[in-house]
Amino acid sequence: MNIDWWLLFEISLAGLGTGGLYALTGLAFVMIYKATRVVNIAIGEMLMISAYIFFAFSAGMGLPVWLAIPGALLVSGAFGALVERTMIRPMLGESPISSFMVTVGLSSILVGLVELIWTADQQRLPEFLPSKPIEIGEAFVSPKIFYGFWIAVLLIVVVLLVFRFWRGGVALRATASDQAAAYSMGINVPRVFSLAWVAAAMIAGVAGIVVGSIGGISSAMGVFGLSVLVVVIFGGLDSVLGALVGGILVGLVEALTGFYLGGEYKILATFSLLVLILMVRPYGLFGTHEIERL
Amino acid sequence: MKSFRRTICLATLAAAALAIAPAALAQKTPPKTAPQEDIVLGGSIPLTGVFAFAGIGIDQGIKDYLTILNEGGGIKGRKVRYVPEDTGYKVDQSMAAFKKITSQNKVSLYYADSTAFVKTVNPELERNQNILMTGASFAKEISDAQKYPLQFMVGPNYSEMVGILLQYIAKTKPGAKVALVYSDTEFGRDPVDAARTEAKKLGLNLVSEIVTPPSSVDVSAEVIKLRRADPDYTIFHGYVSAPIPEFINQAKALNLKTAFMGTFWSMDNSTVMRMGANVDGFLGVMPYRYYYDTEGKAPMLERIRKMRPEYQSTGYMQGFLSAMLLTEAAKRTLDAGNELTGKNMKTALSSIRNFDTGGVIGVPLSIKGNSIPVGRIYRADFKQQKMVPASEWISLQ
Repeated sequence: MNIDWWLLFEISLAGLGTGGLYALTGLAFVMIYKATRVVNIAIGEMLMISAYIFFAFSAGMGLPVWLAIPGALLVSGAFGALVERTMIRPMLGESPISSFMVTVGLSSILVGLVELIWTADQQRLPEFLPSKPIEIGEAFVSPKIFYGFWIAVLLIVVVLLVFRFWRGGVALRATASDQAAAYSMGINVPRVFSLAWVAAAMIAGVAGIVVGSIGGISSAMGVFGLSVLVVVIFGGLDSVLGALVGGILVGLVEALTGFYLGGEYKILATFSLLVLILMVRPYGLFGTHEIERL
Repeated sequence: MKSFRRTICLATLAAAALAIAPAALAQKTPPKTAPQEDIVLGGSIPLTGVFAFAGIGIDQGIKDYLTILNEGGGIKGRKVRYVPEDTGYKVDQSMAAFKKITSQNKVSLYYADSTAFVKTVNPELERNQNILMTGASFAKEISDAQKYPLQFMVGPNYSEMVGILLQYIAKTKPGAKVALVYSDTEFGRDPVDAARTEAKKLGLNLVSEIVTPPSSVDVSAEVIKLRRADPDYTIFHGYVSAPIPEFINQAKALNLKTAFMGTFWSMDNSTVMRMGANVDGFLGVMPYRYYYDTEGKAPMLERIRKMRPEYQSTGYMQGFLSAMLLTEAAKRTLDAGNELTGKNMKTALSSIRNFDTGGVIGVPLSIKGNSIPVGRIYRADFKQQKMVPASEWISLQ
C-alpha cells in the first residue's frame, strides 16, 4: 500500500490546527471545573457570546481590531464575573447536578440573547488574521488555522505559567485541591471562584473570536462546545495537560476520519473515542482518579 | 255610523300601507344574500430560529401578494385572509401551529416551513382533504405527486436545481470536472444520487463528493481533498452560508481555479455578498428574478419595488409566488364552479399553462407535477454588490 506521506502530514497539520482550538476552549472548561467543581456545559455558548461582542465592537461600532479584541475580552471577563456572582455562587453547597443544570439554563439564555439582539442569521467577522497561505514543504496549512493554533499554544503556556508562579494561580490550585484548607490558609475562596470564571470567560473569548473568524458566527455556534466536552472528558475534567492532549487528539482523529472515511464519520469518530475512554479510564487520561456520578 | 265607517276605512288603508311598505322598502334596498366567506391561507412560518432569515421575507411576501389580491377584489369577491403562526423552524411547533390554525379557521391554503413538517403533516392533509399546501421545502421526495397529492413546491426540487447547474456546466465546458460538497443532513444529501446520474448523462466527470458535518468550523481537510480533485466546478448544497466562505477563501489562497456554485437557499443577494470579496464570480441557480432585476417586462416586480423600496430577499419572492400560485389554484377552482377541496385545487393548479407571474419568474409558467423545474444561473458581481444573470432561463421539462 502506497502512503502519500505529504498528504498525511498535510491532513495532520489541519487536524492539529483544529485541535489547538479545542484545547484552548477545553482549557476554559478545565479552569472552571478545577476551581469550582462546576461542569460548565455552556462553554460553547460563552465562546459564542464573546465572538458576538467582538462582532458588535468591530463590525457594529466600527472599532479597529486592535481595540475591538481587548474590548471584547474585557466585556467577556466581566460577563464571566457576573455569571459567577449571580448564578453560580448562590449554588454553593448545593448538589453538583444543580450547578450543572444552571449552566444548561445559561446556554439556552445565551442562545436566546444572541437571537434577540443579532437574530439567528449567520454573520462574518471582519478578516483580521493574515490570509497568505502557509506552506511547510509540500504541505499547505490554512493561515487562520495556523495562527489560531499558535494563539492557542501561547495562551495555554501563559495559563500553565500563571498556575505555576502567580499568587492568584497558586490560590486557584489550592482552592481546587482542598477548599476548607484554602479557607484556613486565608485564601479568599469566593474571590478565587470569581477569578476562575473571569479567566475562563476571557480564554473562551479568545477561542470564540478565532473560531468565529474561521467559520463565521451564528446562534448555533455553541455546538462547537460538544466536541470540547469530549476533549475534556478524554483528557480529564481537571487537567490542563489533559485539555491540551485531548484537544490535539480529537482534532487529529476528526481530520483523519473526515478525509479518509468522509465527513459523515467525523462526529461518529469523536463520540466513539468518548465511549472508549469512558470504558477504559472514566476519569480521563490525566484527570484525578475520582468519579462523581450525577 | 259615519265615524265607524271612517275608522274601518283608515284601518283598511293602514293595513294596506303595512302590507305594501315592505315591498316598497325591498325595492329601495338591495336583496340580502349570505355574507361571502373569506378564504383562509394558514402558515407555519419560521419568524424566529435558524431559518428566520428566510421566514421573515416569506411572511412579508405572502402578505404583500394578498394585499394586492384583496385590493383588486379578492377571488370572486371573497377576500383571502392570512393566518400565520411562528414555528421557530421546529417540527413540533409547526404541527401545533397547523392544528391551532385549522381548528379555529376553515383553512383552504397553507404554507409549510420545512421538509420535516411537510412529511409529518401529509397524512393529516389527506384526512382533511380541504387544503392545498406549498412551502419552503424543495425536497425531491415532495415532488412525488402520488405520495404528496395535495402539495407542490414553488420551484425546482433540489435535484432539479443541481440538474440545472449541471446543464449549464455541460453547455459552458463540456466534459468538465465537477465536485459536489454537501452537508451531512437530509437537506444536503437530497440531490446526491440525481447528481451522479445526471453528470454521467451529460458527459461530466464527478471527481469528488465531499461531505461535511452540518456545523463544520474548519474545512482545511476538505479543502485538501478538493485541491487533489482539482475540479472545474464545485457545487455546494445543504448550506446557507457557512462553511462556503471559508471553502472559497482557502481555495483562492491555494490558487484553485474551480468555479463555486450554490443552490437556492444560499443564493440570496445579501447572503452571498456577506461572504466577502472572494465570493466574486460565485454562481448559482435561482428560480425567481432578484428584487432589483429591471430586465424586460416585470410589472409585479415594479409593484413590489413600489410597495417596498428597500431590497427584498429571495425568501420574499418565494413567499410572494407561493401566495400567487395558491390563490390562483383557488380562483380557477371557483371559476370552474367547484368546491374548494384540496383535490379540486390541485387539479386547478395543474391546469396552469404559460401563466404570467408578472416577471417574478422570467418565463411563462406551466405546472405539470409537484415541482416547477425552471431556473436561471446568476453570478455574483461583488463590485456591483449584485447577482447578475449568467445564463438564459433553463427549463428541465
